Amino acid sequence: MKIVGMRINGAIQREAAESVCSALMSDFGDEELVAEAARHSGGRLERHYVSIDCPPALWRLLAETLSSEHGADHCSMITGIHWPEKSPDMQWQVIIHLMRTTVRNPPSKEKITQPIAVDATIVQGDDMPLEFEIRIAIPETREPAVASVADIWVGADWNEKETWDLVGIDFEGHEGMRRVLLPHETPAGYHPLQKQHKLRYHDYEEMYDDPQGFQRKPVDKGRVK
Amino acid sequence: MAEMWISMGPQHPMTHGLWTLKVKVDGETVVDTEPDLGYIHRGVEKICEARDFTQITTYCDRLCYASANTWSHSYIYAAEDLMGVEVPERAEYIRLIATELQRIASHLMWLGAYCPDIGNLTGLVWCLRERELMMDLLQELGGSRMHYNFPRIGGVKRDLPHGFAQRCKVKLDIFLDRIQEYEALLDESTIFLIRTQGVGYAKAADQINHGVTGPNVRAAGHNYDVRWAHPYSVYDEIDWTPSLERPSIKGADCYDRYRVRVEEMRESAKMVMQSLEQIPGGANTYHDPGDPAILAKAPSRAKDGETGFHHYEDSRGESMFYLVGGGEGRGKMPYRVSIRSPMFITIPYASKCMIGYKIADIPAIMGSFDPCIGETDR
Repeated sequence: MKIVGMRINGAIQREAAESVCSALMSDFGDEELVAEAARHSGGRLERHYVSIDCPPALWRLLAETLSSEHGADHCSMITGIHWPEKSPDMQWQVIIHLMRTTVRNPPSKEKITQPIAVDATIVQGDDMPLEFEIRIAIPETREPAVASVADIWVGADWNEKETWDLVGIDFEGHEGMRRVLLPHETPAGYHPLQKQHKLRYHDYEEMYDDPQGFQRKPVDKGRVK
Repeated sequence: MAEMWISMGPQHPMTHGLWTLKVKVDGETVVDTEPDLGYIHRGVEKICEARDFTQITTYCDRLCYASANTWSHSYIYAAEDLMGVEVPERAEYIRLIATELQRIASHLMWLGAYCPDIGNLTGLVWCLRERELMMDLLQELGGSRMHYNFPRIGGVKRDLPHGFAQRCKVKLDIFLDRIQEYEALLDESTIFLIRTQGVGYAKAADQINHGVTGPNVRAAGHNYDVRWAHPYSVYDEIDWTPSLERPSIKGADCYDRYRVRVEEMRESAKMVMQSLEQIPGGANTYHDPGDPAILAKAPSRAKDGETGFHHYEDSRGESMFYLVGGGEGRGKMPYRVSIRSPMFITIPYASKCMIGYKIADIPAIMGSFDPCIGETDR
């Protein structure tokens, strides 16, 4: 049978997201963790995800819970932001995107594997694919760090390496932290996505600065952009 | 026998780009590997912090030269999530046509590069011949040959040109015939089968834990696809099923990963044909650039601290952009752009995957995961 229009039902996805949130709030609710079901604002289809604000100390426990109880089996992205303009209790931020993909090894019958073809129109409950966004705010410090989760999702390993390499947020318990995108001989403490490293174009007057020296002037020079 | 380290790369036919694979060998057997990336790191994420939201599309095209359209669409969907834009349905259909044609072109580039890896030069020439058909179609849409800069926040740059539907159907018919020629060439070539079957086993659950997604997981026997799991565009209105392969008990080998991509090309071609039939307004009407039927009004600024992200099915797996808007007086530019590259995560996994096999299997295993260094290093 051919399935016309492979897609997840948005209303059931919202229910799945809400049930994860209420379970998390009853587990962690009294410890400054906030979980809520959020909806993507763009696009023509209804898509829901789980949005979590987590204090740094709880991250490791939350990751274990999400992995073991809520089926988050795929670490999609870990990234960091340097916020020098924000308040002292959020100078750094770590953003983690997890996914529940429900991918498992196909079962075998009489030594022949049977591929798993999920019918997207009927999946429900714990089989519902789901996105998780976890935001961890780190207060002002010279050495920002959160716990590593590379032993839960191996895919987090290189994400964490990249975040340390480019943003300078360290991951405690991560083995073999090293430069991955910058050259190996990059000086210690140099992390280019920190905001004190300015691009030439960051100052507006220089936006049209001509490196070849033609002395071209922008027509909107001096105007606020 | 004593173990020793061999450095494959940065210039090596196996690498499909600039990177180094350090291989520890015991005789002919691989016992350990260590990938070393970053040779063409351009700092796209930092550059994007000083660009308008509209200017960034151009940089995203250049993330991967083989799959430019899917990368710029990946960014555009995240930007639309950031600004809360709804796209006209006709524009979504045109986007689907553009990205699926690009997926075919990208898979053809992969197959074209994979064939000489394992000793079949004819495959390269044949695949690039058909890729040219797709590039011509994409050129009609986007205006340039490789980096189209095609999507806009809120729609697309241009409508389908006059006669595009007819030319597209003819070319896809030719292409669907020629896929059978590849299958005759490769599936019946003893050398191809010996070099791909039984090497590079990878299990589905293992791969997802390592962050590997896309065709590589579908080759391992699970039909997970972001296009249905987190639906975007008009994939819900098209009659399609994700291609799926039957792996062995040990997991998917290189041959499964080749098969699943061939099936995906077929599926994409059918999706394009079908959306040309279904497109609202008909494929033969033409709207001027900027017409509300193909381009919705979108804000050019994002509020301070607003965020947007979008999981997207790239040709190589799940790609994602995470955007943070605003910052001190700079609402026109993003405060932070973070890119998830599927290959950045897949290359370490593929390198672990080849442990236990012979040195001669390294090109076959590495190539079957479809590495692209442009997006890996960003």
